[in-house]
Parts: sequence; C-alpha cells; structure tokens
Amino acid sequence: MSTTHSKLAKKFLENQQYADWHDSTFWGLRMKRDKMARELPEWEQLRNKASEIKRHTLTNIDIYLQKFADAAEKNGVEVHWAKDAEEFNEIVYGILKDNNAKKMVKSKSMLTEECDMNPYLEARGIEVVETDLGERILQLAHQRPSHIVVPATHLTHDDVGELFEKELHTKKGEHDPTYLTYEARLSLRDEFLTADAGMTGANFGIAETGDIVVCTNEGNADMSTSIPDLQIAAIGLEKIVPDYECLSVFLRLLARSATGQPSTTYTSHFRKARPGAKKMHIVIVDNGRSKWLADDDHWETLKCIRCGVCMNSCPVYRWSGGYSYSFFIPGPLGINLGMLHDPKKHSGNVSACTLCLGCQGVCPVKINLGEQIYKWRQTLDGLGVANPQKKMMCKGMDYVFNNPSVYNFATSSAHILNHLPSFIVNNGLNPWAYAHKMMKFPKKPFHNEEES
Amino acid sequence: MKVGLFIPCYVDAVFPKVGDACYRLLRHLGVDVVYPEGQTCCGQPMANAGFAKDATSLAKKYDDMFMGFDYVVAPSVSCTAFIRLQYPHILKEANHKCHIADNTMDMVEFLHDILKVNTTLGKFPHKVSLHNSCHGVRELNLSSPAERMEPRFNKIKDLLDLVEGIEVVMPERADECCGFGGMFSVEELAVSKQMGEKKLARHIATGAQYITGADCSCLMHMAGIAAKEHTGSGIEFRHVVEILAEGL
Amino acid sequence: MSTSNDIIGACRNNIKKRLPRPCLSDIDATVYTDPVEEFIVQATAAGCQVVRGKSKKDLDSIISEYYPDAKVIASAIPEVKSATVNPNDVKKPQDLNGTDVGVIEGKFGVAENGAIWFPQEVKERAIDFISENIVATVPESEIVSNMHQAYPKITFNDFGYGVFIAGPSKTADIAQVLVMGAQAARSMTIVLV
Repeated sequence: MSTTHSKLAKKFLENQQYADWHDSTFWGLRMKRDKMARELPEWEQLRNKASEIKRHTLTNIDIYLQKFADAAEKNGVEVHWAKDAEEFNEIVYGILKDNNAKKMVKSKSMLTEECDMNPYLEARGIEVVETDLGERILQLAHQRPSHIVVPATHLTHDDVGELFEKELHTKKGEHDPTYLTYEARLSLRDEFLTADAGMTGANFGIAETGDIVVCTNEGNADMSTSIPDLQIAAIGLEKIVPDYECLSVFLRLLARSATGQPSTTYTSHFRKARPGAKKMHIVIVDNGRSKWLADDDHWETLKCIRCGVCMNSCPVYRWSGGYSYSFFIPGPLGINLGMLHDPKKHSGNVSACTLCLGCQGVCPVKINLGEQIYKWRQTLDGLGVANPQKKMMCKGMDYVFNNPSVYNFATSSAHILNHLPSFIVNNGLNPWAYAHKMMKFPKKPFHNEEES
Repeated sequence: MKVGLFIPCYVDAVFPKVGDACYRLLRHLGVDVVYPEGQTCCGQPMANAGFAKDATSLAKKYDDMFMGFDYVVAPSVSCTAFIRLQYPHILKEANHKCHIADNTMDMVEFLHDILKVNTTLGKFPHKVSLHNSCHGVRELNLSSPAERMEPRFNKIKDLLDLVEGIEVVMPERADECCGFGGMFSVEELAVSKQMGEKKLARHIATGAQYITGADCSCLMHMAGIAAKEHTGSGIEFRHVVEILAEGL
Repeated sequence: MSTSNDIIGACRNNIKKRLPRPCLSDIDATVYTDPVEEFIVQATAAGCQVVRGKSKKDLDSIISEYYPDAKVIASAIPEVKSATVNPNDVKKPQDLNGTDVGVIEGKFGVAENGAIWFPQEVKERAIDFISENIVATVPESEIVSNMHQAYPKITFNDFGYGVFIAGPSKTADIAQVLVMGAQAARSMTIVLV
C-alpha cells in the first residue's frame, strides 16, 4: 500500500541521526516564525487582510495584469507573455540571443525551476550561474531544491565543504560555514563581474507602478541586476498585487513567516533598466495558472507568496525531506501544486499528510492546504490512481459498517485476535503491526455491554 | 434535553470502557442520554483515504438514527469533526437533508460549552500529560492552536482541573501531530511510526504517569507504539472522559 | 508566442466571481512610542552598528574610526571628503569592485525591521551592494514605525530603482548557520543624522 512518497520517506528515515537534525532544523525555523508572529498583536488581522487582498486580486487578475503591463511598458520595459514553460524558455532564450548574451547570473526563481529553464538554456550554449548561495550549492552538486526558501538546507556543512573542495578548491577539511560562504562569495563575485545578463524572479509585481519587487537576504538579486547590461525578470501571473498599500501587508508577513526575520535584508523595486544599460524585460508566465482560477476547490492555492512556512511546520515534511516528494516543491504547498500541474504524475504525494491542518494556521495568506489535500484524495479513484488495496479496504469497511449483523460479529469476535500467535497478527500483511503492537480487543464491545 | 450517545466503531470495539465512562458521566450530570442500537462508523476512515462516497450510506444512517435528538455526543474528536464538517457536503451530494451534523459534539465540547460543568468531578491523584488531538485543536476549537496568535485556552485542561488530585502537564510541541492520521498510519508507515515515537517520547519526558486526550485514535496509535517498542516506560493511556468519570 | 490578449483573456474566462478589495485602513498596526529606539534595536539585530548624535560632517571621522584600513572609499555625498571614487563618474559598475567602504544616503528608516529606503540617486547603484562595507546616513527625524507608514513615503526618481536595506548581506544557506556577507556588503554602519 505504499505510495511513492512513503517509499522515499522510509528511506529518508533510515538515517535517524540525520532525520533528527532535519526535523529540528526546520522546527527551529517554525519557532522563529512563532516568535516573530507573537510580537505583532495584529498578526491574525494581517493574515486575514493578506488573504482578502489575494482573493480580490486573483478574481480581478485580468484587470491587474493589464494595468501592470501598461505601467511596465510606460517605464520602457518590454513585457512578454508565456502561456507555458516551453514558451517561457523560448522567450528568455530569444532575449539573450538578440542581445548576444552568453552568460547569465540569476537570483533564485522557483518559476525557472518549474519551467526547467536552466537545462534549456545550457543546451543552447548559455552559461547560467545561480547566485543564491543555496541554489549555487545545488547547481554545483547537480541537485534540485529540497525546499523553496532554504533550498540546500538538507545538506550538512560537511556535505557543502566536500563539494566546495572539489568544485571551488577550498582548503581540505575546512568546513566552517563562514569560511565556505566567503569562498563562495569570492567565486560568485567573478561571475557577477563578467556576466552579460542578470535574471531575477519576482516576489511581487505592482500593478499600479509596474515594479518588480524582489526580496533577498544575500543581495544577489541586486548584484545580478546592477552590474550586467541586460536585465530579465520572470514572474508568474499570480504574483501581481494592486499597489503599495497591499504590498506593505505582504512584506510584513513574508520574512517573518519564512525565516523569522522582520524583513529580508533587501527589498528591491525594479522599474526600468539602469542608465546606459539595455532595455529591461519582464516575462509573465501562465503555465496552468489561468486554468486553475476556474477550479472552485483549488484556486486559492494561487494566493501563495512562497514563504515556505507550510513546509517548516509540516511534520511529514520534516520527517521525510524535500526529495520524498515527486514535485520539485515539497510539503503541503507542493502536494497541491503538483496535483494542479499533473495529477497523474504527482498523486503519490497526497498520502504525505495526516490532515493535522497545522499548515493552514501558519500560512500567512490562509490557504486551506490540508483541506485541499483531502479533496485531492477524493479524486484519486476517478483518475485511476487509487491504490487497489486501499480501495478494497474502504469497500470492505463500507460493507461491514453498513451491515449491523456483520459489524456485531466482527466487533464481538475481535478479541479472538488476542489469542492468535503473534506471527499471524504481526506479519507483513498487517500494516498496523509495522509500528504497533496489536491492540488488545476486549471480550465485549461497548454495544454488547449496553445490551447486557 | 435529549442527548444521543454515539460510540464510534473503534471505540466500540477497542475501548468499550470509554463508552461506559461517557454514559456514566452524563448520567451523573443528570443528562437524559440514550444509546441507540445499531450504530457503527461515521465513515471518516474511508473519506480521509479518498473514498468519501463510501461514507454516504453511513452518513444517511447516522442522520436518520439521531434525528430528533437535541445533541449527539461522541468521545472522539476526529469522528465528531468529520460528522460536523463533512456530513453536510456528503449528504447534499446525495440529496439527503442533513439534520444533526451541527448538533453533534465531542464530549469535551458538550461538557464545557453546553453543560458548562464547573463542579468537582472524580478523583485522579496522578500526573497526566495532555495530548491535544489535531482535529480537536483545529476543527473543534477545543484549544487554541500554537500557530495561531490568539488568546490561549484549553477546554480539556479546564475540565481536567475539575478532577481532584490531578496534575496536568503539557508535552513540548503540544500541538504537533502524533502521526496517526487514519489511513496515513497504513500508507505512510515509516513517517507515522516516527512521529508517534517522537510524540510519545515528549509525553514521557514530562514525567507523567498517564497520557490523556479527547481522541482514542491518537491514544491507540501511541499505545500501540509504546507496547511494541517497549518505549512506554510504563506510561498508561486514558481517554479524558475516563478520568473525569473516575470514581463516580 | 502568446499575446497579452491570449493570457489575460484566459484569465478573464476562468474568473468565477469577482471579490471586493478589503479595507486596509483599519489595520491596527503596531506603532512605537519611540520609533528611533526600536529602529536601533532592529537594525542592530539585523547586524548593523548604529551611530547616533552625529551629522554628515562627521562621516569622514566615522569612516576612519570604524574602517581604519579602508583604502577605496566610494561616495557621491559632498561631505565625504575621504571618498576616492564617485559612483557617478565611473565608466561601468565593475569599476566599483574593490570598494572597501561605500557611503550612501538613506531617505527614511522603518522601526519594525530596521530597514532604510534608498532610492537610486547615482549612476551606478552597484555601490549599495558591491562595496565590502556600507556606511549609510538616515535622518533621525525620518523613522516611521511600520511598513504601512513607510510605503506612502517612498520616492522614485528617473533612475526607476529603489531598495529597502536592513543590515548587511546575510545567508544561512549552509546548515542554517547565519553568516554575514553573502554576495553583497559584509557590514553596515548606520549614522543617524
């Protein structure tokens, strides 16, 4: 009865020492968030407002997209529209080719991960250099992110140290994070100075002014865009917000939720190209989003501001790691986004939820993540991907519970299990026995006691 | 006030004493309580596994059985939450009018919010670690979830404080899930076990002799793990109603 | 390639019900009785050193006190006589690489997070990031409590760029250990003027 997630999770848990470290690291982020949230008496009000702003913006997104594009064009920016990942990659490649750009530095963008942009560009001779330290580590290690905000946190400092010895020729055995960060800084500094183009994602697009707003702690989005001659910003269409008044609400929630900081170090507003530089480009990406607007059960997933707190808070994520999920975004958000993108491919993740609903209470924009996972589960049978054993079990339960005489027999005779040799009860066919000693069934169920 | 007692399937089969304690406690408090014959399961196990449709006939049966009662009370937060929150949808799909979902309550809610019990109950001179069950915390508002920045309260603790001699303690990460999750414990064996072991360890670390809570399924999960791994260090499990009814 | 009409049209067709914009003026945002004091607390927590009771005329002595080994000092502030390079005069942003101290002027600060607003005012904004260390001025009279108060105050000029900066560049991407000085400035000294 195991799902793709459960199989990989089991493997993850084989190294208990590592699993403990993983759990406490991400729980630490959650605790930092709680501390920050507790300091603001208006916290829950901000969450309500943030959710309402997103609900308003998304249900008027056609108007706000037009406003955003008009404002950006008025600023002298060229706006491009990509209906899917393929178009997005073609557009970016086209811009780079037209400007004769061979090397691009890039700050973290989950949208480019979603579109598999790097391999597309690399296959066409473009060198892409990730500049967020976590993303850079993963690029050197040829791994994908295990989290959307702290993408390489699954690696220990020894893992990174060994990687840097090989890739950046750092001192042998010197795995201190401060030293390693400094070495990465030096190496990336060269990349910034020699890049032809710089790309950022976008935390927000401001409809009223055409700003692209990017939040980073490292300053890599600014390094990527204040040195090279060509600037490209990639933005999912759901990231548009109406104006600064709305933006201020999100900025108060974002970093507090993500890392427990009152704000990120840099909150950068890009309106146009630097003086003397080439024209700035913004690529607006749909890739399924417009379609999801019509999905009554799941459209609110589009409210997400990508803070990652649902992952930090989710015990299943903490005890199974980002790579146990088939979609590149893990945790409660990733389960839902994976199902929106390709339900057949990512149905193996929907088991990764106890329905504890903790994610909904931490989410700064109040997405009903857990309730949506429950709803996705109801669709698995229709998709033809429900586990047959589970289905049989449910049909069996349905039969027993709907037939009082069968139910009475089953519950009154359950105590017989107590007397069976344990190898019959505790064998591999009884999943309960994997973690538990079989419960002792009383001689009489409650309903028989009542009769007597 | 006419009150129906709903004893969910696994409580019926595995924890009959809990049903018994509910009945005794309600009677002690002067409630006109009836246990209708022929009840089985609310359908939550199937629904959480993705087969909510298989719960339709059980929902109809439940609604027919308890129609006419002022309240239905059950010693299981997740069953109660399922009935109250999902039955209206399930029955609507089946074109069946839903009568009793709104008035189905967990025992703790009923005692705390409806009966507003504030007199001394039984006697239980022990240190007890309180287990907050997720659906109690986040769907039935039995206590304020740690992640929400709202005034703190815990209705289960309020009730336990009415018991003579008891010392109630909370484990670290009090609102972290124990990893049961119904079908989750079958589909995600390894994570479920891990979460259960960690939760159990945090309860034991309080130095309590007992673990109590408002949901038998969480208790069943942790008790099963404690017995299998012999990690329980002798800690015992009691449903909160058993403690409230102790010695009555 | 798709056009704006394709994508905006697809959105329009899929919107089920338009929801109203919520009222935001009723947010009970935290306001500090002494925003400057809170600003100093938050800026310090973000990794800054904060100097109080000085003016722009003191910048040279502050630079030599806090960064005695600095050789390359970049600034366009007239009072910074020790500046060796002006970000308005460099040919290209790369020329600012190797700057030991960049001295820049902030417009206002935000108490709740220790951030300062810097609209671009020089030709090469790279100075804000490429410098090893940043010395930033901000008027003590211009500290607001929170971001709701901050946004009505932000100004842009024709450069079309502005940034809130809260402390030096930082990362915890290696094993969640906090390290100052990821890709941009490694330290930041704020001078309240």
